[in-house]
Amino acid sequence: MISKMANDAFKALAHPLRRDIVERISRGAATVGEVTRDFGVSKPTISRHLKLLEEAGVVSRVIDGRTHRLALRPEALAEVSDWIGSQRERWERLFDVVGEYLAERKERP
Amino acid sequence: MTEESGEVVRVERTFAAPAEDVFDAWTSPEVMRRWFHAGPDWDTPDAEVDLRVGGKVRVVMRRPDGTEAEAQGEYTLIDRPHRLVMTWTFDDDPSNEQLIELSFSESEGSTTVLMINSGISTDERRDHQDEGWHGCLDELDRILAG
Repeated sequence: MISKMANDAFKALAHPLRRDIVERISRGAATVGEVTRDFGVSKPTISRHLKLLEEAGVVSRVIDGRTHRLALRPEALAEVSDWIGSQRERWERLFDVVGEYLAERKERP
Repeated sequence: MTEESGEVVRVERTFAAPAEDVFDAWTSPEVMRRWFHAGPDWDTPDAEVDLRVGGKVRVVMRRPDGTEAEAQGEYTLIDRPHRLVMTWTFDDDPSNEQLIELSFSESEGSTTVLMINSGISTDERRDHQDEGWHGCLDELDRILAG
């Protein structure tokens, strides 16, 4: 079953703005400025969403002088990703079976 | 992106066969019977396909230790050989009715099948549904795969 932490990760990713933030970090954006540029929402709103991502352990922040650097913490997402993988595996297996069945049918006279 | 119907698992594959054959394979009880054969010691005591709107599809799998797992659904749209839509519920999470949407497109003798499995949730995750977490999963899958 899903642990408390993974559930936090689900919740952390349950908002389009937070998914955008995660995606930008995954593409290499590093500073808070880069990550939150051009969202067209207020700074307090951005801060609230960032805080939620940090609390869920999905994003970490390192303060270096005046620069705040953000990084993804893949371990917080691993359980979520495993769960998606197990769902996918079930269906991939059905695709495999359909493929085998079609191949056998072809061989039949 | 609508949050309610957030697409959770998306699988696409191309088969070297005409759309009619691929569609028929998908609705074949024999395929259903094989699907849950996870190993040589397993067997599938029951698999049923009633291919009509409102008809049931059901598969029962028996593990080597004798315990059984079951999944079932109901066809809601049948448009051979283009589309197939059914509800789907795994018995390990009976309160979660999922939706399976299949589309078949043939090109030069091969058929590409796209499956979208949406509506996946668990009781625990439903607690957070107010924020529409559904939609995030496909996205996350993409991010992690990249």
